[in-house]
Amino acid sequence: MEKQLDLLKGTLEMLILKAVSLGPLHGYGVLLRIQQISKDRLEIQQGSLYPALYRLEHQGWITSEWGESENNRKAKYYRLTAAGKRRLLTETEKWNSMNDVIAGILRTTPEEV
Amino acid sequence: MDVELRSHIAAFADDLIRNGVPEQDAVRRARIEFGGIELVKEECRDARRVNLIQDLIQDLRYGLRVLGRNPGFTAIAVITLALGIGANTAIFSVINSVLLESLPYKDPDRLARLFSHPLNTSNNYSVSGEDYRDWTAENSSFENMTLYSGFQNYNASGAGLPETIIVARAQDNFFSVLGVSAQFGRVFVPGEDPHGTENIAVVSYGFAARHFGDPASAIGKAVRLNLQPYTVVGVMAPHFNYPETAEAWIPLSMSLEIIGRRGNYSFSALGRLKPGVTLPEAQADLSGIAARLAQEYPITNSLEGVYLVSLKERLTGDSRMQLLVLFGAVALVLLVACTNVANLLLARATGRQREIALRAALGASRGRIVRQLLTESVLLSFTGSALGLAGAWWLIRFAQSVKTLPLPQQNPIQLDVTVLLFTIGVSLLVAILFGLMPALEAMRTAFNDELRSSSRNVAGSSGWRLALRNALVIGEVAASLTLLIGAGLLLRTFARMRTADLGVRADHVLTAAVVLPDTKYKDLSSRREFYGRLLERVEHLPGVKAAALSQAIPLEGSHGQTAKLPGDTDLRRQALGINVNFVTNDYFRVFGIPFLSGGGFTPEQVNRAFGVGQELTNYWNSDARLLNAPQPKWSTFAIINRTLARALWPNQDAVGRTFITNIVQPVTVVGVVGDEKYDSIRDKPAPEAYFAATEQLNNSWYPPNIVVRTAAAPESVLGGIRGALHELDSELSLFRVRNMDQVIADGMQDTSLQTVLLGAFAALGLVLSAVGIYGVMAYLVTQRTHEIGIRMALGAQRGNILRLILGRGAKLTLAGVVIGLAATFALTRLMKAMLFGVGATDPLTFASVSIFLFIVAFLACYIPSRRAMRVDPMVALRYE
Repeated sequence: MEKQLDLLKGTLEMLILKAVSLGPLHGYGVLLRIQQISKDRLEIQQGSLYPALYRLEHQGWITSEWGESENNRKAKYYRLTAAGKRRLLTETEKWNSMNDVIAGILRTTPEEV
Repeated sequence: MDVELRSHIAAFADDLIRNGVPEQDAVRRARIEFGGIELVKEECRDARRVNLIQDLIQDLRYGLRVLGRNPGFTAIAVITLALGIGANTAIFSVINSVLLESLPYKDPDRLARLFSHPLNTSNNYSVSGEDYRDWTAENSSFENMTLYSGFQNYNASGAGLPETIIVARAQDNFFSVLGVSAQFGRVFVPGEDPHGTENIAVVSYGFAARHFGDPASAIGKAVRLNLQPYTVVGVMAPHFNYPETAEAWIPLSMSLEIIGRRGNYSFSALGRLKPGVTLPEAQADLSGIAARLAQEYPITNSLEGVYLVSLKERLTGDSRMQLLVLFGAVALVLLVACTNVANLLLARATGRQREIALRAALGASRGRIVRQLLTESVLLSFTGSALGLAGAWWLIRFAQSVKTLPLPQQNPIQLDVTVLLFTIGVSLLVAILFGLMPALEAMRTAFNDELRSSSRNVAGSSGWRLALRNALVIGEVAASLTLLIGAGLLLRTFARMRTADLGVRADHVLTAAVVLPDTKYKDLSSRREFYGRLLERVEHLPGVKAAALSQAIPLEGSHGQTAKLPGDTDLRRQALGINVNFVTNDYFRVFGIPFLSGGGFTPEQVNRAFGVGQELTNYWNSDARLLNAPQPKWSTFAIINRTLARALWPNQDAVGRTFITNIVQPVTVVGVVGDEKYDSIRDKPAPEAYFAATEQLNNSWYPPNIVVRTAAAPESVLGGIRGALHELDSELSLFRVRNMDQVIADGMQDTSLQTVLLGAFAALGLVLSAVGIYGVMAYLVTQRTHEIGIRMALGAQRGNILRLILGRGAKLTLAGVVIGLAATFALTRLMKAMLFGVGATDPLTFASVSIFLFIVAFLACYIPSRRAMRVDPMVALRYE
C-alpha cells in the first residue's frame, strides 16, 4: 500500500459534505466513499468521523434518518440539506482559490521574486 | 449513537473478514482501529449541544451512585437540609399566620379602633354612643365607622344544652366595615333591624357546628339567647374571630334608648380610614372633635379625649420584639444548617480531589466537571428540600389539627411559601457554592501534582480549606450557643413565673361564672336573692371549705376606676388608676389573702352597697346623664389593698379614712388586705379596692364568679355546684369553669409559647451542630487513619490517640463558645422585655448552657475518637 496522506485540518467536514452530496450514506459508508474516491490515498481517523458528522448535523448542513444497511443492520443515513449544498459550494470555491494561491506560491522560482 | 457506532464497527469487521482477516480477530481489530469508543461518544455529544439533557441524565445517574456510595455523608447532609428547611419553615409558618400575616379582613391596614381616653389617666376606655355619633358625623378621616358592644355573656341554647357564650351586639354596618361576608347565609345589611326587635343573629362556625351538626343547616333555625328566640341568618367562616371569642352577633339598635346617653361608656368602636389617611392624621382630626365636644358638654366630656390604635396592633399586641427574636432564631438555625452542609461538602471535596484530577487527566473538560459536581450538589439539595417540604407540610397539618394550640388565632395556619422558598434558596446556594469548590480548586492546581500525591498525604487537605472548615464549626457552635442561651433564659423566666408570688393561694380553688339573663332576672333584688341562695347552697356542699362571689379573678384583669383623696377638686390633676373588684367577705378566705388591719363588710355595709347599686342602676337608666346633670354623691365602703393604702396614706393606718372614686364618694375604708396580682404575673401589684358584691349584680360584661376553696381536687365539687344551680334554675349554666392552676397557665401562655418555640429552634440548632461536629471529627479520623496507624506503630497509646482527637474537638468548641458568648451577650439584651425575674445576661444560664454545649460536643467527638482508638496499626499501614 502506498503511503497515505494525513488529512489537512478542517478538510474532513468538507469531504463529508461532498461524500453525502452524491447520495445518502451511513457513517461507515461515508468513510468508504471518501477512501474510494481518494483511491485509498487518504487516511481518515475513524474516531474523528462521528464527531464531525454530529457537528455538521447540529449546524444543519446534513440531516439524518434511520434505515437498514446492506446487511440488515440498523444504520443512520446522512443526507445533504439545502444549506449544506450552499456550504459545500462556498467551501469548494474557498478551497480552490486557496489551492491556486498556495500552489502559485510554491511554484515560484527564485527568478520570479 | 451507541447503535450507530456499533453497526459501524460491525460493518468494518465484516469488511475485514472479507479481506481475509480471521473472524475471531476481526471485531477486535475493528475496535482497535476505531479508537476509544467512549471518547468518540463524548466528542459527539459535545459536537451537538442538544445532548445536554442526555448529559444531565448521565450526571444524575452518576450523582445518585456517588451519593449512594457514601450513605453516611448523604444521610447527614439530607437530614440537615430537611431539618433546616422543614422544621424551620413549619415553625415560622405558625408564627407567621398568628402574628405576622395581615388580618383576614379587607385592607386590614386601614382598620383602627377608637377609644375614649380620659385626659387625667393613661388608660383607654370604651366609648359612649353619643360621642361616637358626633365622631361619625364630623370626622373627615374615616370612610366609615361601626359601633358594637363585645364581651357580653349570654345564656344561649340552640338544639343542644344551654351554655353561656359571648355575644356581640353590632351596628348594621359592622361586617361591611371589616369587609367580611358569611360562610353560609348572610351578614347584616344596612338598615337591618332598626329597633332591635326582629331578633336575628349571625353565629360562629363553631356554635353552629355544636348545636346543629352541619353548620350550613343552621340557617333559618331558632336559637335562644338570654331566653329570647332568635333566628340564625348567617354562619361566619371558621376563622372569623372578631370581637375575640364572640360566638354570636345580633344587631345593635342605634336608638337613643339603647345608646343615647352621653357619658355611658359601654361600646367599642372600629373605623376604616379613607385611603391615604394616616393614623396620626386621623388622630389629630378626632382629637379636634373631642375638644369641641368637651366645650359643648363640660359635665360629661370635659376630660374626654379620643385615642386611635390600629386594629392590628390592638389584636397582636406588642409582638414586634417577640417576632424579632424568633426571626433571629430562624436565621441562626438556617445558618447552622447551611454551615453543616458546607462543611460536609468541603470535607468530601478533599476526598474527591484525586477523582477530579483523574477525570481531568482523562480528558474531561472544565465545563464538564463543573456540570457534574453541580448536578450532584443540586441533587443533594433537592432531596433535602423535598424531605423538608414533606416534613413542613406534615408539621403544619399537625398544628392545624391541634385545636387547643395556645395562640391568638385570627388567621388559619398555613404553610408560608415565602419562607419555604427562602430557606430552599439559601440551602441550594450553599450547596452549589461549596459543591463547586473542589472543581474550582482542581482547576487551579496542576492535575499531575494531585495524582502523584497519593491518598496517603497526612494533613489531608490544604491549609486554607482546613481553616475554612474549622471556622465553619466554630460559627456553628457559636450560633447554637446563642439559640440555647435564649431558650435557657426563657426557660428560667418560665420557672420564675411559675413560682412568682401572686399574693394568693392558687391551689384547690375552682372558679366559674354565672350569668343571669336580664330578661328573666330584671331587678336587682331578684338577682341578689338568686346569688345569695346559690352561694348558701355551694357553701354547704361537701368538700367546700369556703365559697364567695367575685367579679374579677386574679390574673384575669379587672376593670378600672380612678381614686383620689376627698377635697382634691383639681380635675386636671392626675388621679390614681385603681383596679376595682366586687366581692363577698369570704373571697379573702378562698384566696388566702390576709387582712393587715380592719376586717370584712358588716351586713349593714353590704345592705348600703346594695342600695348604692340600685341608685346607680336607676341613674344610668334615667335621663339625668342625658341632661348633663351633675352626678349625685353615693357613700359606700371598701376594703383596700396595701398598695392603695400606702399610695393614699403613706405610713398611716387606712382603716376609717375616706377617699373618692370617679363613681362613688366618699368611700370609707373598712379593712386593708395583702396585695394580689390582677393583671399579669409580670406586673407589680396594682392599687386595688374591693367593694361589696351587692353593688354590682347586673353587669353582663363582668358577671359574678363563684370562687370556691375545696378540700380535695377543685373539680370534685363541680358536680355539686352544677346540681345546686340546676335546682335553682334549670335554664342556667356555668361559664368559664376553671381551677386557678389553669388560670395561671393561661396567664403564662405567651411565655410558654415563646419558651416552646425558642426551645424548638434551640433543640434543632443543637442537633444540627452536634451532627456538624460529629461529621467533621469523623472525617478527620478517616483522613488521619494512616497517620494514627503510624503513631500507634511507633508506640502511641490508645489514650494518646483519644486525647489527640478529643483535644482537637475541644479546641474548636471552645473557640465557638467564646465567640458565641460574646455575640449572645449583645443579642439577649434585645429580649429583655420577654424575661421575668432573670437578667438578660444571667450568669447561671450563660455558664450552664456553655457547659451543656461542651458535653454535647464531647459526645459528638467521642464516637469518632473511639473509632480512631481502635485503629489497627497493621491495617492502617497496609491500607492504601
